[in-house]
Amino acid sequence: MTTATVVDQAAVRAVLDAVPDPEMPPVTIGQLGMVVAVAVEGGAVTVNLVPTYSGCPATAVIRQDVAKAVGALPGVTAVQVNFVRDVVWDPERISAEGRENLRAFGIAPPGSGQTLLQIGGVTCPVCGSRDTVADSPFGPTPCRSTNYCRACRNPFEAIKP
Amino acid sequence: MIDDPRAVLALALGDDELVLGHRHSHWTGVAPHLEEDLAFSSIAQDEIGHAVVWYSLAAERTGKDIDAIGLGRPADGYRHAVICEQSNGDWGYTTARHLLYDLAEEVRLEVLAGSAWRQAADATGALRREERYHLIHARAWLSRLANGPAEARARLVAGLEEALPQAVGLFETLPGEEDLLADGTLPVPHVDQLRRWFDVVVTEFQPFGLDDLVDRTLAPASPAGRHGQHSDVFPELWDEMTAMYRADPQARW
Repeated sequence: MTTATVVDQAAVRAVLDAVPDPEMPPVTIGQLGMVVAVAVEGGAVTVNLVPTYSGCPATAVIRQDVAKAVGALPGVTAVQVNFVRDVVWDPERISAEGRENLRAFGIAPPGSGQTLLQIGGVTCPVCGSRDTVADSPFGPTPCRSTNYCRACRNPFEAIKP
Repeated sequence: MIDDPRAVLALALGDDELVLGHRHSHWTGVAPHLEEDLAFSSIAQDEIGHAVVWYSLAAERTGKDIDAIGLGRPADGYRHAVICEQSNGDWGYTTARHLLYDLAEEVRLEVLAGSAWRQAADATGALRREERYHLIHARAWLSRLANGPAEARARLVAGLEEALPQAVGLFETLPGEEDLLADGTLPVPHVDQLRRWFDVVVTEFQPFGLDDLVDRTLAPASPAGRHGQHSDVFPELWDEMTAMYRADPQARW
């Protein structure tokens, strides 16, 4: 006779905190603030996520990665991953740890002096100088802008406000 | 044929985004400079992402597969306004259409934020947040061309003269609109949204002395795009846009 393993919501949260973002692997989807809700009923786990941007092509990969990671927890029999629309993602949702990981990866985290109208002066994630110029509000992914540091002469990206 | 009024609204919105997003993507690799390649590619990606949001709402209403909704309809099943399908033309027309379209989006998303259709109202939150960058981009080019050398301004004016009568088609009354108005799905009829848009466009153009181009007597031709009636350029675009899907509609990605 075996006892069914009880799935712990905290354990699911811990797993989500460790699932890397496919386009910015040093940060996780938990650190990016994409997890809206976790529900556990018996062995069935439902995870509600919010995409950073509606057009983010990584959402399909994130859905698979989350299903796989949560599905590997003992006792989990089914995983449902939903992307919700009643929450609007905002860079303020990124955790302190996520911000530090972004900066170490070379992407200026929120709070580095970004402005909607791109007037420059975003703190360089490489050398820390604010002698930087905005290049374009459009970058390699919808959530990132491109900038240039005059001090260390590195181009860098920043999370858009 | 999808005829549920809420699904028709979602299709009109989604088709505008998909078709114009597809046209925007034609600048990828051939825009005037690298930053513009990135800008139009990124805006195209946003718009197509927004199409997916509206198609997911249409899928909820109809129970149909989202890919089949987005790419599996015949050309006359698409409900976008005819302006969205036009070829990119020159930079003047591209800028004119980009600006007029994104100002129209601002008007209609603000209206839909008050929709009694909860899911549609919810969807406007992320969309409006993302659209801010599109307007910044369009306004930067409005200013640059309007205040630029004579040829830049002349091309912008020519683009606006062509795009303005087309853009009013974004406010063509939808089939089933009376139902959408009756149950609060659409808090403001398209004919009144058009008036709001005229106000917004005039305000936008005044600092550049371009407001005389706006003819408030313009009205959408109908039946047109919202009824699936498109111009001669659409079949080729439809063929290109849906070719991959039609090659194997059952493919899983």
